Amino acid sequence: MILPLVILYVVTLVYLSITERFRTYASIIGLQGWILFGVALLRLHRIDLPELLFISVETLLFKTLLVPALLFAVIRRTHIHRVRTSGSSQFNALLLSVGAAAAAITLTAAMADGNIDRVFFGVALYAVLSGLILIVVRSRIFSHMVGFLVIENGVFLFSMAVGTEMPFLINVAILLDIMISVLMLGIFFMRIGNKLHADDADSLTNVKD
Amino acid sequence: MLLAYFILSVLIALATFRAGGRRTVAMLGTAFFAVQFALAAALFRCGFRGGAEALFFTPDALGSLFFVLLAAVSALVFIHSRDYLADCAIADYRRYAALQMLLTAAITGAYFANNVAVTWIFLEATTLCAAGLVYFRHTEHSLEAAWKYVFVCSTGIAVAYLGILLLGTAATGGSLGYEALAREVTHGNPLYLKTAFVLILCGYSCKLEIFPLHTVGVDANFAAPAPASALISTGLVNAGFVAVYRIYRIMMQTEAAPWVRSVLLLTGVASLAVGAFFLRRTNNYKRFLSYSTVENMGIAAIGLGIGGPGVWAAVFHTACHTLVKSSLFLQTAVMHGIYDDYRINRIGDYMRINRIGAIGFLLGAVLLLAFPPSPLFVSELMILGGVLADERWWLAALLLVLLCIVIYSFVSRIVRLCYQPNQDAVHRPAASHRLAWTALVPLGAALVLGLWQPEALRALIERIVTI
Repeated sequence: MILPLVILYVVTLVYLSITERFRTYASIIGLQGWILFGVALLRLHRIDLPELLFISVETLLFKTLLVPALLFAVIRRTHIHRVRTSGSSQFNALLLSVGAAAAAITLTAAMADGNIDRVFFGVALYAVLSGLILIVVRSRIFSHMVGFLVIENGVFLFSMAVGTEMPFLINVAILLDIMISVLMLGIFFMRIGNKLHADDADSLTNVKD
Repeated sequence: MLLAYFILSVLIALATFRAGGRRTVAMLGTAFFAVQFALAAALFRCGFRGGAEALFFTPDALGSLFFVLLAAVSALVFIHSRDYLADCAIADYRRYAALQMLLTAAITGAYFANNVAVTWIFLEATTLCAAGLVYFRHTEHSLEAAWKYVFVCSTGIAVAYLGILLLGTAATGGSLGYEALAREVTHGNPLYLKTAFVLILCGYSCKLEIFPLHTVGVDANFAAPAPASALISTGLVNAGFVAVYRIYRIMMQTEAAPWVRSVLLLTGVASLAVGAFFLRRTNNYKRFLSYSTVENMGIAAIGLGIGGPGVWAAVFHTACHTLVKSSLFLQTAVMHGIYDDYRINRIGDYMRINRIGAIGFLLGAVLLLAFPPSPLFVSELMILGGVLADERWWLAALLLVLLCIVIYSFVSRIVRLCYQPNQDAVHRPAASHRLAWTALVPLGAALVLGLWQPEALRALIERIVTI
């Protein structure tokens, strides 16, 4: 059951690289939250109430409900619906995504040993690279935010790749990470739209030498 | 002891958010720094030898050294901020004071954490507190800097987290405590260890203000009120140094040690080069001092990269840099009160307008450029000696060239500040004279350390560097 979910997760990453509509971005981030919840639940060896609660808060509450809701709110408030047309084309984005997948597979083959779950490791690497690509090739701040969220999800998967059960501190760290992403969405939602009237990163270049 | 410290510090900071007036903020500030100095005194009483562990914290020599410096700098920052923000509304001022207290407590957590994940959590917490200080002015510039700071730091810290997870995988026991990791990674997979170090260094570079994520620190210092920049550019940078140094110590006992040293050398040289280049380019005194931080932390990274006496020099360099840089940023706050400007090509004649402040800048420049009797002269000489002892002639030549550029840039800019004709209107805040004097205090301490390093301090650093 886990493998189909992981494959679905990879499909969301590919789709994320070619889509240009922000509503789709938000929906995919929500879907990734559901998938991560399912994977985390299936990987639980026993029903441990505190850990179950933690997973529910991390994935279901934050990743699946709160973060996508905030993304939709940002879209509604800023009335920005698409990536900039002058940005990277869909074909180039797909090409980059395939390159990232190839790099992730190569790195996994070179690095992963018996201590690491190869599938999770490879997909986590692909997610991190996909997030970085989104940040680099897309010019709108919204895309950067989505890129960061994709990296966060990649980190979550990575933590599953390196250990079957996450210690308490790892859970706390991941939760803090998610809180940071919610804070960033808050800054975007409450401040940037009001102050800068800006929707792309090009306008965030006043602080420089 | 440490748990009581954290509880009291956070409670006082939270109370400051609700303070009704400036007098209440001052009282809460006094209580907060009484707690800081009480902990510093307790650490001093036990000879910085490390007391009992408290949950995820151990008051070891490394954390204690940097905590004492942090407490002193943070107290000075609080004193300067009161006058610097005299015109602010009480709601803004109390928020600033509370965030400064929370930042100080979060940095302390990063210093004393005995677990790599706890260090990471506190560094993440510093991002939140520092971002609040950066956005203090509510201007477009401060919003842009705050957004970049939160975004890049969060991405960097997420990357560091990947490294931590990989490091945990290389260890056999599954614990993320530094002592347990040091025992368990000795025979860990070298490829994991190397990758983990690169990821952690890359991620923490946003806090340590070294290449490649140094830019966010520079932007943050630029946008934050000048006294807060003194804290960000020293205490917070030291938190990054402590985090990287603890991983470095672990790595030195593994097969990955030569790789780690090479990575630090490359990063250090790149930081020094970036610092030297942008010191020439920038037209803002706060950014200028921030690039000087990039350059100095690059030198510290080179010290770690050389190993041996270079490690001692790196720790000493970072500690003394804290004193000199905090003094210079506080002098910048005084300067801003007079000119209401930071532009290098506009302001000048400072020697006539504020003689004590100008002397502070000139003396600070002399110490920061490592001219004798600067304590940085001791550390840089040791690092250069280490480079020459290793017969890395190309590196020695490169370092000397870059340091010459730094010296030229620094001297020309500070001389311009002191003697070029001024083009801006001059205000004379009543407190500027007193504040210029108080900003000289850490500089005086640095001067003493340049002339005489107490045996206790030498022994303390020796203990820190002994693996």
